[in-house]
This record gives sequence, structure tokens and C-alpha cells, in this order.
Amino acid sequence: MITQHSSAWTRIAPGLALLGILGVLASCAAVPEKAVAADETAAVGRYDQALHDLLPADIRERGLLRVGTDASYAPMSTFGPDGRTIVGSEPDLGRALGEVLGVDVEFVHRDFMRILPEVRDGSLDLGMSAMTDTRERERKVDFVTYFSAGTAVLVQHGNPEGISGLRDLCGKKVAVEDGTTQVDLLARAQSHCAATIRVRRFATNSDALLQLRTGRVAAALNDLPPAVYLVSDPRTAAQFQFATTTQYEPGLYGVAVAKNRPGLREAVQAGLSRLVDSGVYAEVLSRWKIQEGAVGQVTVNSGR
Amino acid sequence: MPRRPRLHPGTRLFLVYAAVSLVPVTLLGLALIHGYQERGQAHAREQGLAEAQVIEQMAVAPALRGADLSVGLTPHQRSYLQSSTDLALFNGSVTSLQVLDFEGQVAFSDDGGSTSQVAVDDPGFQTALAGGTDLRISGRSVRVLQPVFPETSGQAVGVLEVYLPYSDILAKVQEETRTAVPRMLAGLLALYTVLAMISFLTTRALTRYAVEHERQALHDSLTGLPNRELFRRVASRALTRSARLGHRPGGALVVVDLDHFKEVNDTLGHHAGDELLQVVAQRLSDSLRSDDTVARLGGDEFGIILPSRDRADTVALLCEVRRALSEPVPVSGRILSVEASFGVCFFPDDADTVEGLLQHADAAMYQGKHGPQGVVVYEPGGSTPQVDALVLQGELRRALDHEQFVLLYQPKIDLATGRVTGVEALVRWQHPERGLLAPAEFLPVVERSELIVSLTRWVLGRALADLVAWTAVGHDWTVSVNVSAKNLASLSFAEEVIDLLDRSGVSPSRLCLEVTESAIAFDLETTAEVIAALSASGIAMALDDFGVGYTAISQLRALAMDEIKIDRLFITGLAELEQDRAIVGSVIDLAHSLGCTVTAEGVESAEVATWLGQAGCDHAQGYLWLRPVPWPVLAAYDQSGSALRTGQTHEHRPREVPA
Repeated sequence: MITQHSSAWTRIAPGLALLGILGVLASCAAVPEKAVAADETAAVGRYDQALHDLLPADIRERGLLRVGTDASYAPMSTFGPDGRTIVGSEPDLGRALGEVLGVDVEFVHRDFMRILPEVRDGSLDLGMSAMTDTRERERKVDFVTYFSAGTAVLVQHGNPEGISGLRDLCGKKVAVEDGTTQVDLLARAQSHCAATIRVRRFATNSDALLQLRTGRVAAALNDLPPAVYLVSDPRTAAQFQFATTTQYEPGLYGVAVAKNRPGLREAVQAGLSRLVDSGVYAEVLSRWKIQEGAVGQVTVNSGR
Repeated sequence: MPRRPRLHPGTRLFLVYAAVSLVPVTLLGLALIHGYQERGQAHAREQGLAEAQVIEQMAVAPALRGADLSVGLTPHQRSYLQSSTDLALFNGSVTSLQVLDFEGQVAFSDDGGSTSQVAVDDPGFQTALAGGTDLRISGRSVRVLQPVFPETSGQAVGVLEVYLPYSDILAKVQEETRTAVPRMLAGLLALYTVLAMISFLTTRALTRYAVEHERQALHDSLTGLPNRELFRRVASRALTRSARLGHRPGGALVVVDLDHFKEVNDTLGHHAGDELLQVVAQRLSDSLRSDDTVARLGGDEFGIILPSRDRADTVALLCEVRRALSEPVPVSGRILSVEASFGVCFFPDDADTVEGLLQHADAAMYQGKHGPQGVVVYEPGGSTPQVDALVLQGELRRALDHEQFVLLYQPKIDLATGRVTGVEALVRWQHPERGLLAPAEFLPVVERSELIVSLTRWVLGRALADLVAWTAVGHDWTVSVNVSAKNLASLSFAEEVIDLLDRSGVSPSRLCLEVTESAIAFDLETTAEVIAALSASGIAMALDDFGVGYTAISQLRALAMDEIKIDRLFITGLAELEQDRAIVGSVIDLAHSLGCTVTAEGVESAEVATWLGQAGCDHAQGYLWLRPVPWPVLAAYDQSGSALRTGQTHEHRPREVPA
């Protein structure tokens, strides 16, 4: 290289000129590149008439999918700054799904406990709220799985109670969101305890975290992604930390679909699969920094 | 000329500086005051926002948990909200408080009303809908609009419209401003003062420098008098003014030249010359009015402008100035006497340009050098055309080289015997073009230059040679030679004369050297020394032109004089004037009592000669006997007694200037 450079002094000037031209070309090329990237983000999914036709007639008529979510589970689903718009990875996936299916998607806030009943009675078309697909729930609704996550144990910053795992929760007060798999997890953990785990259940995950923040409970159980979000967000990092790196009982999140809506489940599964295949799914997950929980394929009723 | 009171340029410059620097200082002050007000406002906003947030989170939001404003508040929510806000409202910590739903409808109002002051399309309301907080300061209250988030999830239920008292915040801000602004103003004032002082000092220094520079450019550094340039300006102004006002007032331009100044420089050094010039400058200034202008034109030449004076006044004044100048001056431990020639011309009569006036005054001054008056008024179309002094000097040098000078002799008669006892050598210039020139035409120039030394040497040599010649044919006449002040200023002069005598083999007693009063007065000490040396070697010394110079009697005492020659001024009118007779008689007695012989000059009548003989005067010279002639002619006269007496001419005779 050195000899080449030193023996090619005369070629430096044209070389510089070439560099200049390349620079101009590069700067010209940069703009369309970015524009393409922006288009991909915006074009969340490509509309598919066949999938649209799979939808139940009333939904096609309405042109709208109503999706229930508990907007207290950042970064999956949470309220935006205006206190009314629901934002997060789930609304983004839902909107992309709507694009593919050719319908509008509306996310509405519901306490976690109310989601399945409303899906079943048709008040909601779908439930998408970091809900783990379990055998028990499969008895009420069908699940189209789209994410994988386990449970983390959160404690107050500094871990004043010295909790290092599920076992240490015996005899302690623990806050969980009502109706979640964490409630079941604690019930199962109870069997290893001499002293009873005093489980406090709250309508939203935020209420459970408020209890921990104010020292009224010793720990709170959260899915891993929102827990990571909590301990890394500068506004909450000073208040919470993980008790242990262990992730308990990993499971799959599923979109809850009523069993009596023929075609809806198939449409959702096909749509989500299309998003996974087209990369929109991965793009949404990485936008919310939860790509570790990505699934390779979209399944139905995979609960244990 | 109407005069307006005008500001000094330096003061004006300073005022401009002061005014200009006032602008940035004022702007800075305004910017700072504006900054204080801005900060006060910002402070008020921050405080308002913080208060509103606390009110929202601590009093309003807890009461509205689970509320749905579109359907209204439950009685519990309403009473909760009332109880949590009552005290703040009652105490005035909060002026007014409403909760609106997202459509802008009032869900709660502190006074039970149902209409809001906020329109739905109010930008503040739109900001609150989007999750932001809007704060406006209007009148005496601060209005804050912000969403209410009762849930931990961050879900909003409506918009809080709260009015906080602004007067407290305002008072605080005003209080801060009240204390800060005077401090700032004092600082700015100090800054401005410093700026002003700096510019004052700078402009003053600059002005002084400029004034000094101007002064130096137009003044002579030695005497502090205006220089030639300023003199020209003043003269030109005076000319213009006299031209504008008509001929009547007019004025005079005078050129003054010191006699024998060069000798002072040569013998006593430049320092003495400078000292003398300073004294002269001082005396000239002192003897004139404040309207008059004295300037040093260069060297020993001064110029005077006397505006608005008539001729008689001017001449009288200048004579007085000349007298004042001639007072003895102590310079470098010696007493010098200064004589000066004044050339006067009048404007606008004589010339209408400064150049012309200077030329005329110069011409008159040169005439004055030749005459006894000292003050000479220029006469248009006057006597001799002036020959340029430098041209003349060149010609004189050639004349010396080519022996163009001749000596004529005037006899000195012993009044007792009527015999010729001696002769006075008088120099003439045989000019190749202008013919035989009288001393008046060239001697003043010679005396002002070094030529005088050579000329005196030539005259002495020629006279001694002639003396040897007439001795050989049997005449025992002594010879008198005039020497100038410059000769007497040099100590080597005595040796030179003695050497000449030796070489010609003439006895020193047969040589008489005549010196004028003014030559002696110029530097008495050196002159006295030279005279003493000459006298000691046996040479007779005569004091020439006695009575018209300024010799003090005391100076006579100090000089080894053998003979005193009374000036013709006293002799000519002797027959008519009793006073002259008294003076001449006294001088004869004085001379005799000092051991000197007396010679009367300019005797033109037998009557005078008779009177002089009776008064005891020893010798006499004059046209009564003979005008200056070559010595062989004189020899013939002496031998034939009064042979030539009848051939005596009565032509108007020019005054002899001693050579």
C-alpha cells in the first residue's frame, strides 16, 4: 500500500477528484435510501384482499377492529403524553395488522380482567394486552401467539428487603396485576413457602408498581420486557431494580380471539405471519427495543 | 466680524464621544432591564406551572379516579374535589378552578357555575388536549390549562383550568427588579463615567498634541515667536483686512536685522547667540501692543506687523523699540549691546502682497544698515536699485582677488599749525562695470560677511605700503585705518597687525586704528583686550564717530584710547547751534582729561575750523581742506600749502563709511 501510494503521486489528484464525485454520489444516494426506509416503516403491511375476505362479515362492514388492551404496560401498551392515545409495540403491531387486513384498528383501554369477557361477548373484537397464552385461558378464547416473555421480580431500588428470587417472597407482600399469569405463578410458588405470600392484586400494572414505589409491598411481578423498560427508563430507573436475573415461566403472548368468530382467528394469524415474513414485525419490535422476545412463527393455542 | 461663541474642538470631540458612548450604554441598560423583566416573567411562569401541577396531582386528580367526565361527576367525586380545593380557594391561594371534559364542557367549577371562560378552539385548550400545559398571564391572575391524569397509567380524564393570583408573584418580581435595577444603573453609570473619563483624557491629550503640533509648525522653537510662515499668514490677513476697510487705517510691515549678530555667534558661540536672540525677542514683544505681531523670520532677522497705525506713530514707536533693544544685554557673562536695523514699509500703500512688502522692508532695512538712523522707511522708486547681497559678495570676493580696491586718503589737519599730520585711508571699489563705488554701496555687505577680515588685511597692507612710499618722498604723515567690530572680536588681530608692521618696517606709532563706538559696544571685553594689545605695541587707537553710537562713558575708561573723533553730526551745525557747541566743547575737555587727542570730523567751513581751534580741538578733517584723494595728490597739496584748496569741489558729498 505504502509503495503504491508513494509511487502514484501523479494519480492522487484524479483520485481526489474521484473521491469528490463519489462523495457527491453518496450524498445523493443517501436521500432516496432514507426515503425508502421511511416508506417501509409507514407501509406497515401490504393489504391482502384474500385475508380481508377471511374476516367476519360484520367486521368487514364496519371496517374497524376494536382491540382491548390494558394501557399500563410500557412498552407494550401505554398512554401517550396526552393521556388518551394508546401507544406501544402492541398498537403498532395492531395497526400493521389492520393495514394487511384492510380495516382500521382501534385500541381501547380496559382493565386486564375485563378483556377476556368483553372479547367473548363481542364488545371487543380482539384482546392484545401482553396476555400469556395458557391452557386455562384457551378454554375461554383462542390465542394467536406473537411474542415470547417470562416473568421478572421487581423490587425497590437498593433492594431493601434483600429479595433474590421467588423463594424470598414467602411471608412478603407482593403486588401483581389482577388476572395475569403472575397471579397463577405466585399461587404455584406458594407451595414452596412455609409463610404465606401475601398477594395484592390491582386493576392495572401501574397501580401494582405504585404500591412497590411507595413501599407498601416488597416486590412486584412483571413480564420481562416492561420490567426492563422500567429499570432502564430514566424516570423510573431510580425507583426499581431486578431482584434476580432469572426469568420465570417463559410463555407466549397471544391475541385473544372469540371462538365464535369464524375466520377472524385465521385472518389474524395469516396477517401476523405476513408481518413476520415481511420484516415489519421485527422492525416494530426493535423500535420498542424488545426484539429479544420475537417469535419465529405465529401459532394458535400453544399454551401450556 | 460677528463672533459666535464657539466650542473648543477638543471639547466638541469629547461631547461627541460622550453622546455616542451614551447610545451603547443606554442600549445595554435597556437590554438588561428587559432581561430582568423577562426573567421575572419566566420566574412567574415556572412558579405558576409548578403550582398548577401540584394542585392537579394533589387535589384534583385523586378526586377524579375512575371518573368519566362525559357523564358527569359522582356526588362522591364532587364532594371529594370540593373538600380538597375549598381551603386553597378560601385563602386565595387559588383564584378560581374548573375541570372541563375533552369537549370543553364544565364538569366542575369552584363557584358552582357551568360556563367556562375557555373556548374549545382556544389554543391553550388544544395544548392541554394534546397533553401539554398552557400558561397565560392576564391582568392580575395566571391561567393554567393542563390535562388531569388521575390514573397511574397516565390516562387523562379531562382538562384542569386553574387561575392563580399573579399579584404575589408580580410583587416578588417587582421587588427583585426594584433592588436589581438601581444596582445595575449604578454600574452602568460607573461604566459610562469611566468611558467618559477615558474619552475626555484621550481627547484632551489629542487636542493638546494637536495644539502643540500646530504651535510648533508655526512658531520658532528658540524664541517662541511666530515663524516666517505664521508671519506671512498674519501679514496676509492684515493686508486683506486693510484692503476691505479701505486705505485709511493701513498698517506697517517691519523687517528687523541685528547688527553684528554673526560675530556674537562666532566669538561667543551659538549658545550666546541663542541667548541674545531670546532677549531680543522678549524686548521686541514687550515694547509692542497685543495687536502687533513679532515673528522670527530666521537667523537674526525679525519681522513686525503693526496694524492700524499712521506713519509718524509707526516710526516713533520703532525708534522707541530700537532704543529698548540697545539696552546692554548680559550674555554668557559678558555685556553686549545690540543694535538693529529696521526696514519699514506701509500697506496697502507700498505693496499689495506679502512678498512685495517683505522685499520693500528688506530693501529699506539694508539702507538702514548704511545709515545712521537705524529705522528706514521704504520710499517707492527710491534711490539706488538694490543689488542682491549674495551677488555682491561674489563680486567682492573677485574684487579682492583682482585688486579692484583702491585707497584714497583724507588729510588730518593740525588745527594749531594748519599742517597735515596724518591721513585717513578710505577704501573705494573700482568696479569693472559700475565704476568707482563709494563704501556705502558695498561695505555693509562686506561687514556682514567674513570678507571684512580679508579686506581689512588688504587695506592695512596697502596703507602701510603707501606710508613707506610717502615717507620715502619726505612726508611724515601717520596713517589711520578703520577696523570693524569683527576684526576686534578676534584676539589674533593684534598679532596680525604687528606682524604687518614688522614686515613693512613701519614704526607702530605711525599707525592709527579707528574703531566705531558700536564696534566696541558689541563685545566690550574682547574688544578691550584686543585694543589693549594693539595699544601696548605702540599703535595709536582712535574712537571713531563719537557721539552717535551708544558708548557709555564708563566704557571709555576701560579702553586704551589715544584719540577721539567727534562725529560730523555735531560739527556740521556747530556754527548755528549753541547746544552742539556745548557738547563739542565738553567732549574736547573730556577727551583731554582722559589723555586723548580730539579730532573733529566733517569740517566744511573756516568758521567752524576757527571755532574748533579756539575750543582746543587738536585735529580736524573735512572738505574744507580736501576730499579723499590718492596720496600723491595729497603730497602735492601738502607741499603747496593750500594749492588745491581753491579746486575744492562743493558737490554733495556722501557720508564716508569707515573702512
